[in-house]
Amino acid sequence: MTFASGSRQLPHDWYPGTLPPNVCVCNTAYLGTSYSFQEYRSTASIGLRIGRGASLCDRTVLDVGPNGQVSLGDYALVSGARIICDSEVEIGDYALIGWNVVIMDNYRVPVDVAMRRHELERSSLRPQRRLENECESRPVRIGRNVWIGFETCVLPGVIIGEGSIVGARSVVTENVPPFTVIAGNPARIVGVLDH
Amino acid sequence: MNETAQPKSLCWTPDELPPNVRLGANSVITGHYLPGDHPFKHFRSRLDPAIVIGAGCTLNGVYFNMGEEAKIEIGDYCHFTEAFLLCELELRIGNYVVIGWHTTVTDADFHPLSPDDRIVDAIACSPLANGQARRAFARKPVIIEDNVWIGPNVTILKGVRIGEGAFVEPGSVVVRAVPPHTRVLGNPAQVIENI
Repeated sequence: MTFASGSRQLPHDWYPGTLPPNVCVCNTAYLGTSYSFQEYRSTASIGLRIGRGASLCDRTVLDVGPNGQVSLGDYALVSGARIICDSEVEIGDYALIGWNVVIMDNYRVPVDVAMRRHELERSSLRPQRRLENECESRPVRIGRNVWIGFETCVLPGVIIGEGSIVGARSVVTENVPPFTVIAGNPARIVGVLDH
Repeated sequence: MNETAQPKSLCWTPDELPPNVRLGANSVITGHYLPGDHPFKHFRSRLDPAIVIGAGCTLNGVYFNMGEEAKIEIGDYCHFTEAFLLCELELRIGNYVVIGWHTTVTDADFHPLSPDDRIVDAIACSPLANGQARRAFARKPVIIEDNVWIGPNVTILKGVRIGEGAFVEPGSVVVRAVPPHTRVLGNPAQVIENI
């Protein structure tokens, strides 16, 4: 990704935004649009790292809280996911993530009803209307060479081992061993891959 | 280096809403920036009021796809993110309800079950309909009680009542009633825990 000198605008961006300063993009990576950063508010020293030859395509939304850190490995391809991150979401090298996939390391709201009501009242008074409370988050790690089918949800704390395949529209609630095929809602192991 | 300067998303003011939509104090309906996406593009209800929204609600990128006799009621302090509300009859949503990104709530089948009737319906929906009437299809109100949390990529089908304080995990497909104060997951959604 090459920028005009001193600019944080993407070439050919249809949206008139800029890249946040703490986004570290390799100059061989592809980033579709700055629209992906509308919900991005990480203040970490590096909030998003995009590796060599990686792609973050147009419909992707990075809903990243102040302490959130997202990393996308070399040659990883994200074709329109929603990444909800308050701690850490790591996507390994060569990973392929289908469209409308949700990867979340937290639920954005407290499970406790009284606390949730309080947060909803407070968010209605904020200009951006965001749910911003600190709730428990558990990092998500998607291994190298993992392939996740479209509209899958990956829930907080899940670790998906190297080389595994997740079928379309699965909901991944538990860790996935390396080189397995899982599918379903909730997702179950349906096969093993040779390697 | 510039700070991120993102344009504000579009916000519908009360005088831009259809006349049969009532919006409570400090509630906002924001639109999607993407061209062609509009919350009322498929709003056809002739009831008055057709939509009643309480106070302090944030409806961000919500689609109101409503038939001529459809009615939607939404309580106070609800927070919806890019939900699809497909309504031919009635959706009744309580207070402090959160609905996650890309979730669909529908109170109808939209087409008849019988194969012969579906052929007639397909023709009536086509550009060659020539005024031919559609066939009747099943519709049953959907009721979502107070303090319910619904995750992203969820599907809620007709006739479902979601009990107070229930927690619907991401990606669930809800086909029957959810008891109050339970956590549900899966396709079809099943109770996994009492809260």
